[in-house]
Amino acid sequence: MRRGVAVLALVMLVLSACTWPRDVGTTLADVRDGVLRVGVTEHPPWVSVPDEGPPSGAEVRLVGQLAARLHAQVEWYPGTESELMAAVKDRVLDLVVGGLDAKAPWTKEASLTRPYVTMRTIVAAPAGTTVPDDLTGVRVAVRAGTADVAALTSEGAAVVAVPEITGKEHLPVVVGEWRLAELRLTPSPHELSATDHVWAVPPGENAWQAEVERFLLSLSHSAVVGLLADAEQAEAVR
Amino acid sequence: MRVYDRFELPPEEAALHRRAVRLEWWTIAFFAAAVIVLALTLGQSQAMKAAWIEDMLGLVPPSAFLLAARYRNRAPNERFPYGYHRSVSIAFLAGSVALLGLGGYVVLESLIRLLARERPPIGLTEVFGLRFWLGWLMIGVLSATIVPGILLGRAKQRIARRLHDKVLFADAEMNRADWLTAGAAVLGVVGIGAGLWWADALAALVIGGDIVRDGVRTTRSAVANLMDSRPRVVDGSQVHPLPQELLTIVLDHDWVTAAWLRLREEGHVFVGELIVVPRPGTDRLVERLENLQKLARNLDWRMHDLVVAPVSRLET
Repeated sequence: MRRGVAVLALVMLVLSACTWPRDVGTTLADVRDGVLRVGVTEHPPWVSVPDEGPPSGAEVRLVGQLAARLHAQVEWYPGTESELMAAVKDRVLDLVVGGLDAKAPWTKEASLTRPYVTMRTIVAAPAGTTVPDDLTGVRVAVRAGTADVAALTSEGAAVVAVPEITGKEHLPVVVGEWRLAELRLTPSPHELSATDHVWAVPPGENAWQAEVERFLLSLSHSAVVGLLADAEQAEAVR
Repeated sequence: MRVYDRFELPPEEAALHRRAVRLEWWTIAFFAAAVIVLALTLGQSQAMKAAWIEDMLGLVPPSAFLLAARYRNRAPNERFPYGYHRSVSIAFLAGSVALLGLGGYVVLESLIRLLARERPPIGLTEVFGLRFWLGWLMIGVLSATIVPGILLGRAKQRIARRLHDKVLFADAEMNRADWLTAGAAVLGVVGIGAGLWWADALAALVIGGDIVRDGVRTTRSAVANLMDSRPRVVDGSQVHPLPQELLTIVLDHDWVTAAWLRLREEGHVFVGELIVVPRPGTDRLVERLENLQKLARNLDWRMHDLVVAPVSRLET
């Protein structure tokens, strides 16, 4: 009995040594030289979904690169995160992107990839200002309606909520680290948050997930920062 | 007769017991390490989670054994006139109930996942800059937990039989269940890699079933023990021969016309009452009764606390 189990395991291994791990379904085979169905959700600069025309943003460019590797044609499906995750669960979509956080609560519906990049949100100083070591009572500009407002408040800073950070506030500002070069900001050691970014794929499609992760893990931090900065500029032009 | 008699194992058995204590410390170290390493590599595999839970449970019997080892030897006192031998039985019951509950949890969880047709994802991992499928790492870690489990289990089972120690025996059984679990989990992970979504949940279900079976058996045995059932040999397969032997020897005395013996297990030792009907007119009765008690205690080290009472008539 025990020997039988061992032989069975060995046979299973040998049979499938060609592609390992394998998909429960056929996602990787369908996408290769076929169609890649991608759910996108608005989250600039990662993904921007205009009313008309194709989406843009850093992750949209990355999906393009992945599709080129696999000679696949991309179809975009905009929606909210909860809509898209319900669809990816049953393989109606092959991939969902939109600046997803590794702590996203979608593990029942989708499989989140390994985090491929970590982006920090920090307090930075425009030319002519400095950020003191202690933020208590210091006026700091932050985009209104974000979790960063609460994080800043808990540091004791005087929150100046603005609709958009432009770098012309003449105040210390809260920005994602990719905007430092574009806005000519000097970073400070005050880090409000750090987000691990992931993509979502159908659960159990392990060959497909491994292919996506191989692509994502080959990306360097600076390459992603470059794409995010480009996306910010394109957004500003519009 | 000395009341508040303290129990000591004979020298040979005491040496064995010290070895068992050492083995149990090794077991705790091994399981603690396994729990940490498995937690670090834990993916979304149900079978692996089941193996992890079983490793955590594996800490219960050795802890119970070591805790009981501190108490079992204490001399009886005014508050606990029967001594502390029962501490072993209580530890045994606590461990068994934990085993049963968690086995049930594993079964339920994998059934739900199987019915919902959930497909477990396992992606890539990166160790020291080397990128590979996380499943390989999981299989490696699970396999590494198998060998010590086998060795520890075998060594403990041998000692448990000699010492008549049921906690130690249950622990050895648990080690066996544990390495089987790890083997099943390896098959589950291989199944995920092969694209067989049901393999993992099925492996977890089999493991869970095995844990429940273990739990039911040890709980029954622990409850029977606390209910003062007739002593059985350490693996529970048959009644212990000692009470019958003792009774035969007692009835061999020509001044004894009838005798009745009731024994129960308290940890390592047997405790109970021997009732004899002396032939009418027997002289030096008290001395004879005391000799009978000494004889019983010299027969086997397990025979510890025996009250010998004379009666004029026995009705059975």
